[in-house]
Amino acid sequence: MITDKRQKNKLASCHRRKLWQDKVIKRIFQGSAILAALMILFIYFFVISRGIQPFLPSYDGDQQNVLSFLTGNRWRPDMNPPIYGVGFIVINTILTSLGAAIISFPISVLTALYIAKVAPPKLRAVLTTIVELLAAIPSIVYGVYAAGTITGLVDDFAGLFGISTYGGNSALAVILLLAIMIFPTITSLAVVSIRAVDRNLELGSIALGASRMETNFKVVLTSAKSGIFAGLALGLGRAFGEATAVSMVAGNRMIGPTLNPFDITRTLTTTILTGMHETSPGLDYDMRFSVGIVLLLVILVTNLSIQYVKRKVGGITNE
Amino acid sequence: MKIFRSLIIIILVLSLFVGLAACGENESEETYAPTDAPAETTVALEETDPTAESGLQGEIHVYSRDASSGTRGAFEELADFEEQLTDNAILTESNGDMAAKVGADLLAIGYVSLTTDFAANNIKAVNYEGVEPTEENVLNESYTLARPFNYVTRAAGDFGDADKEALVAAFIAFLTESVEGANAISSAGGIVDVSSKRAWADLQADHPVVSQDNSGIEIVTVGSTSVEKAIRAALETFQPMAGNFNFKMSHAGSGEGPAGTVGEEKDTAKKGDIGFASRAFKDTEEVILGMSTGTFCLDAVVICAESSNPIANLNQSQTAAIFKGEIQNWEDLD
Repeated sequence: MITDKRQKNKLASCHRRKLWQDKVIKRIFQGSAILAALMILFIYFFVISRGIQPFLPSYDGDQQNVLSFLTGNRWRPDMNPPIYGVGFIVINTILTSLGAAIISFPISVLTALYIAKVAPPKLRAVLTTIVELLAAIPSIVYGVYAAGTITGLVDDFAGLFGISTYGGNSALAVILLLAIMIFPTITSLAVVSIRAVDRNLELGSIALGASRMETNFKVVLTSAKSGIFAGLALGLGRAFGEATAVSMVAGNRMIGPTLNPFDITRTLTTTILTGMHETSPGLDYDMRFSVGIVLLLVILVTNLSIQYVKRKVGGITNE
Repeated sequence: MKIFRSLIIIILVLSLFVGLAACGENESEETYAPTDAPAETTVALEETDPTAESGLQGEIHVYSRDASSGTRGAFEELADFEEQLTDNAILTESNGDMAAKVGADLLAIGYVSLTTDFAANNIKAVNYEGVEPTEENVLNESYTLARPFNYVTRAAGDFGDADKEALVAAFIAFLTESVEGANAISSAGGIVDVSSKRAWADLQADHPVVSQDNSGIEIVTVGSTSVEKAIRAALETFQPMAGNFNFKMSHAGSGEGPAGTVGEEKDTAKKGDIGFASRAFKDTEEVILGMSTGTFCLDAVVICAESSNPIANLNQSQTAAIFKGEIQNWEDLD
């Protein structure tokens, strides 16, 4: 009887201790989540509070006009007064990133489908490793590759049409570079989401008389669309955000927008990066934060439009 | 089976690395010493230019640096087209980036510092006003795409501390007369005639202040941002030789140099012990009041083109017209 009671007590204290441990661990997890969320808030707060300074009447220096900043088609910080127009840069950024996505998205999705559904297991493992390795290459390495090889190819290609380029530095070089850079991002997310498609859906489709390929395209891909579009959003995010590699081949044109693919271009990130180490605190420095706000907005709008497109792409939902 | 699979993976990964390494080698060759580029460009030359005598034909590709570059500031000022650079110019990231990109584009024109490795980048230096850009010509002032880096100190007795005054005098001697000072300046890109200098060991005797502990003294330099690199190099070299004094550099522009030492700002927060200007001092700047003043080195910019470009010489008006976008084609250049 007594031993029974003791055992009960022991069990209860053990249980209490476990509950207490659970609580502590829960708090630790909560703390890290809050810290991560706060970091986003801090970054947004810092960039925005710094970036809106030049447009406020209290600015210590030349106050800038928001409208001419957002719609401007020239970026001439060397002029007096300096001209900061970001409108054409936004168009250039969207054009180069979309161009890269248009090239990369179909290739990525088909590669993912092949890896996940068609390839024999041995080849699948090899291909998965290759895609992961591509994702691990640092952007500066892609940059030297682009400056040394892609520009040469673009220059030769332009020569076929009798067009002379700035040594291959061009919007097309940026598009090709970004297409290569976002390929692994889109592919690896697409592979994961295609693998997650319910096997019964496929079996049902085949049982109803569809061929394997019909099933793959009409059932598997549409069911995996959520993950595939998440991959596209991440890929576009990388394309919008890539600065180092892009600045090596973009050419930083001061006027625009650039619609000729063989002409030099300028993106939001290269505008922030170029001359950062040589500039001194002042208007030129603060304007980089203003460009940062515009970049954040562009990425936000793009992600929202991808969500919209995703909903429009028909088929079975697997969310 | 498992072993076989992982073996295949390892082999493929290795071959991928080898492939990537090969790519890397190729492009570094192309960027820094383009061995096959001239061959390609001669083809382009033949296509656009049937008669070799009439020179190069085609659109001029203007290469420049971003607006915060000191070299760009110097070049635009010396060739006299400030704030007028053509909107069509391509902007490069650095002196090395400019050299590599101009070397890969037959129709390019750009500018680099005199210390650039021209042959390795497949570029050639263009004469300015008929004068070849060499260190000698910069020093004898016949090459005019150059500017002096000048200094002026506070007036004697105006330093507020005799030791500080002696230390500033010692630094000026180090900067303008010693081999060590000249080496520091030229390592930072300044052009200075090292052969006419003496070893600091010989000069040191005149400046006993350097042998005491000067860690309580802070020398403040003001003025041109262009001189910053050279002065920092000289100060850092001199610091351990002169009792570990401290220094603070607050450079904002050439005008601040004389103003903060002998001018109207000499007793304000913008005051300094030594002021610098990357141009000749103006008559309105009373540098004669200073304890010492003079030129400590020169800075030169060189116009460059791809090495097979036939261009040999440009004068100031041609240079300004090209970079302003008024002359747009190579055949329009007489």
